[in-house]
Amino acid sequence: MSFLIIPCYIKTKWDIDCITRLLESVQNQTLKFEKVLVIDDFSPFEYQLNFFNIEHIRLSENGGPAKARNIGIDKALSENAKHIFFIDHDCILDLQWNEQMTNFLESTEFAAVGGMTFSYGKTLYDYYHDINGTLNGKWLLPDKKELWYMPSLNFGIKAFVAEEFVFDERFPTAAGEDVDLCLRMRSKYKIGFCPKAKLWHDFGYKSTLTGFKRFVNLFKKYKSSSATLYDGHTVLLWDNSESIYSGNAYEFNI
Amino acid sequence: MSLIYRRRANQPSFTHVINDYFGEIKPFSKRIGKWYFYIPLIIMKTIEWSIYRWYKTPIRRFYGVKGNELIYMITKRCNEKCPKCGIWKTPEPDNEHIDISIFLNCLKMLNENLYQVTITGGEPLLLAEDVLKIAEESRKHEILLLTFTNGVLITEDFLKRYAALNHKLVISIDTIDESKWTDFRGKATFEKVMENIKLSKQYLGRNLQIQSVIASESEKEIDSIQSFCKDLVVLHTTQRYLDFGGVWNNPINTPKTTSNDVACAARKNIIIYPNGDVVKCFDHRRILRAKEPLGNIEKEDIIQILCKKRATEVSKIMKTCNFPCKEMACNVPEIIYN
Repeated sequence: MSFLIIPCYIKTKWDIDCITRLLESVQNQTLKFEKVLVIDDFSPFEYQLNFFNIEHIRLSENGGPAKARNIGIDKALSENAKHIFFIDHDCILDLQWNEQMTNFLESTEFAAVGGMTFSYGKTLYDYYHDINGTLNGKWLLPDKKELWYMPSLNFGIKAFVAEEFVFDERFPTAAGEDVDLCLRMRSKYKIGFCPKAKLWHDFGYKSTLTGFKRFVNLFKKYKSSSATLYDGHTVLLWDNSESIYSGNAYEFNI
Repeated sequence: MSLIYRRRANQPSFTHVINDYFGEIKPFSKRIGKWYFYIPLIIMKTIEWSIYRWYKTPIRRFYGVKGNELIYMITKRCNEKCPKCGIWKTPEPDNEHIDISIFLNCLKMLNENLYQVTITGGEPLLLAEDVLKIAEESRKHEILLLTFTNGVLITEDFLKRYAALNHKLVISIDTIDESKWTDFRGKATFEKVMENIKLSKQYLGRNLQIQSVIASESEKEIDSIQSFCKDLVVLHTTQRYLDFGGVWNNPINTPKTTSNDVACAARKNIIIYPNGDVVKCFDHRRILRAKEPLGNIEKEDIIQILCKKRATEVSKIMKTCNFPCKEMACNVPEIIYN
């Protein structure tokens, strides 16, 4: 019983193309999802999703991705979900993504799992994110046996974890809310890394020449989220960590 | 990537910046597969590093700042019976008092985040050896310790050891009029305390402070206490009376001692009760959803307690609470000296 939750805020045609492309990859999974919940966070753009086994929930007001995911979590728990997975609308899943994530959660003691994220585009910025591990999880050092945190675009949790820990809805944008959840969750549970669960994330760079502003704005957004993140934690023991990057997928010991 | 660049406020900044930059760039550069990407990707990494380091968002103010105050109510027991305070009426039984090693462990775990440890009570010097152990541990981590006392149990031996650790001692007095002393303290200890203040000044110098509570019963005494402190060259602070089980009354016309309108306690305070219970504000019982403690350091790790979702929720509630204790010293970012 695995549920997939996709929060989305559709502003442009590009967003529609992204979610359509994502749902095609969802439909082609080797192991099907029990249900896919697309939670529309009061998008200004009208659109239809004509896919089988997808529940499209439109919220009546904009509350941010954390709130959208929490609504999805409530729905999944009420329908007895065993595993709850999260991705973003601008991702594309590998055919075996669900199979790998589900097997990982079923065969290990980890309460949560993060997969391997690659860049979808071919610009220099995309290559940068691949070797930088911008949207990958971070190892808990020094052992590198579990994750310090995992971004919510390639993330899964067991249902009992979701009953205890949900996203903090004070985070206004898709930045920081996943780190906050992981920090709280790790007080009790461990997050594992499943390199075989691959997905591709479209950062939206049109070309290397025109993508610079987008590149800078991306990191400014992540930096800004830290303020909210601090507020949520009386003690934030930020420590040195190390990003997972594309090269880790080929390391023998993982 | 490390999101904290200066973990200690007094860390040498220039070398730290250089070390931090190369600490980021070096492992990253090894991952670049093609030589002709080397320069553009290093520039991009430098841009990312610069944004995290220099781009000013509200979080900037927290970098390099030890943002938390650990307040330990070491005991509820007291050797005096001041009517302004009701804590002495409910002394904790022996089996509800955590071992000092548990608190010291908690202090060690939090040391990177603390700018101050405060010991209050009850009367902390009933457990003078424990106070000195905390003072030693705080000094190891370069954290300032403030101990609040009524001044009766101060001894020369205690002062020698305490002064060597360069921490602050705050003696609480609300009058210097001997005829009113017994009414204010419940016991005739005027001479002893006055003698101890002078002895403390001798050993501690500027690390001695005097604090008074402004209530309708004591507000006429404040001027004479201030003159006394001025003559003695000791810093003096005042705090408005707040009901913690005492029977004094709020002053009618006395202006606020600070202009603080922000409830800082939720963000900065970590308070431990004698039994190990953890709360974020001494006044938490007034707040409907914050009545129960967040946890107990005897049973759980302090980090685990502070990472609970409830800790986040209580912080959120307390940020908007509008109780008069907002202007208390534990709730303002800086101590205001008279």
